[in-house]
Amino acid sequence: MDKKNIRETGILEQYILGELDATQQREVEHLLENDADLAKYVSELEKSFESLAFENAIDPPNHIKDSLLTQITAKEDNVVPITKRRINKWYVGIAASFAAFLLVSTYLLYSELQEVKSELEVVNTEKESIKEDLNGLTQNYNTITKWYAAITDPEAEQFVLKGNQLAPEAKIVSYVNHNNKTVVINAQNLPELDALHDYQMWADVEGEMINMGVIAKGEQMLAMTYIDNAESLNITIEPAGGNDHPTVERLISNVYL
Amino acid sequence: MKSLTLMQDDSNLISRIKAQDERALSLLYDKYAPAIYGVIKRMCKDDNAAENILQDTFMTIWEKIDSYNPEKGRFYTWAYRIAKNKVLNFLRKPNKLIQTDDLSVYASRTTEQTTMEDFAQLKGSINTLEAHHKRAIELVYFLGLTHNEAHKEMDVPLGTFKSYIRQALKRLKDSYSAALILMLILIEVLR
Repeated sequence: MDKKNIRETGILEQYILGELDATQQREVEHLLENDADLAKYVSELEKSFESLAFENAIDPPNHIKDSLLTQITAKEDNVVPITKRRINKWYVGIAASFAAFLLVSTYLLYSELQEVKSELEVVNTEKESIKEDLNGLTQNYNTITKWYAAITDPEAEQFVLKGNQLAPEAKIVSYVNHNNKTVVINAQNLPELDALHDYQMWADVEGEMINMGVIAKGEQMLAMTYIDNAESLNITIEPAGGNDHPTVERLISNVYL
Repeated sequence: MKSLTLMQDDSNLISRIKAQDERALSLLYDKYAPAIYGVIKRMCKDDNAAENILQDTFMTIWEKIDSYNPEKGRFYTWAYRIAKNKVLNFLRKPNKLIQTDDLSVYASRTTEQTTMEDFAQLKGSINTLEAHHKRAIELVYFLGLTHNEAHKEMDVPLGTFKSYIRQALKRLKDSYSAALILMLILIEVLR
């Protein structure tokens, strides 16, 4: 097929117009690749057809371009990045469940913490009260131990002061220890007095009554002042707070040492 | 000079479209859609279908741009072939078959169907051609008939029809070259 011949077969026009089948089309393309003159000739034909089209152009309605661009955007959104989106969603899903898990476990941990805190508070309160109890008990124990030591000391001499006709039911047990110079009394069985009066204890030293102290109300065991060379112990009823001198008329009990 | 600029513009636009630049497609559409729509509308004679086919053509251009090779021809030629194929496929659709009662696209077309409607009256240099040359171009280019269909339509031998086309294109080329030279002179004068 020489050049002139090809031009007259009309195959080049048919090629441009898309009338050829795939095989014929490839043949023409092969010819054009190897023949610059022929390619230029075809290019001129193309230009003529193109000019023809431009001269007979018709403006399409504007909405077509809009919907074309919308379609492209939609396709891009739906097709190309869909894998990305899926991956994103996948990650988002993981992240969301992780976040939810964190949220739930945080909440659980928080409420557990609050529970533990309040339990700890209760335990602390209990501990405090137990501590108080223990303190009280220790104090009691110390007191009792002290009294016990005082009354069981082999050196302690026991004297019982029985009430006279003024207070027949009164009975005071006193423990006098000359060795360490202490006097301890058990005032458990003293009849109660009104608020205006107190029992007071006295030691008789060569005919003079010396104050050993007021017997405090409500106390069971009391330490009194030890007086040297006391010959007897005496208990009188005195105005509240005690008296400088015993009211002899109101002596309820005495015992000689 | 101008066409060189246009071609450079095209290759720039096309490489941008290959890189999925929608703006470039928009510019390419502005440049070529009216010319392509002119062909589509004359070929399928159905406004609604023509609009859909135009959109579809540019969708294909967007999606298949990688298969366009500038070394094998002009962009417009490539786009024209896509559009023409879509119109022919539309005309072959079953509902069209009921009308034509034939599998070939134009074999049973009546003369009326291959006649240009008012809107479709051709403009420009084609009107300077002799009537039979104009008709030959009209049939293969704007109505989408094959050479085989068209020579029958014109009732001339295929060889004669081919020479009509060849001569018509030569005249058009001369006319466009003259117009181009005139335009270049005009540009020079205006400068």
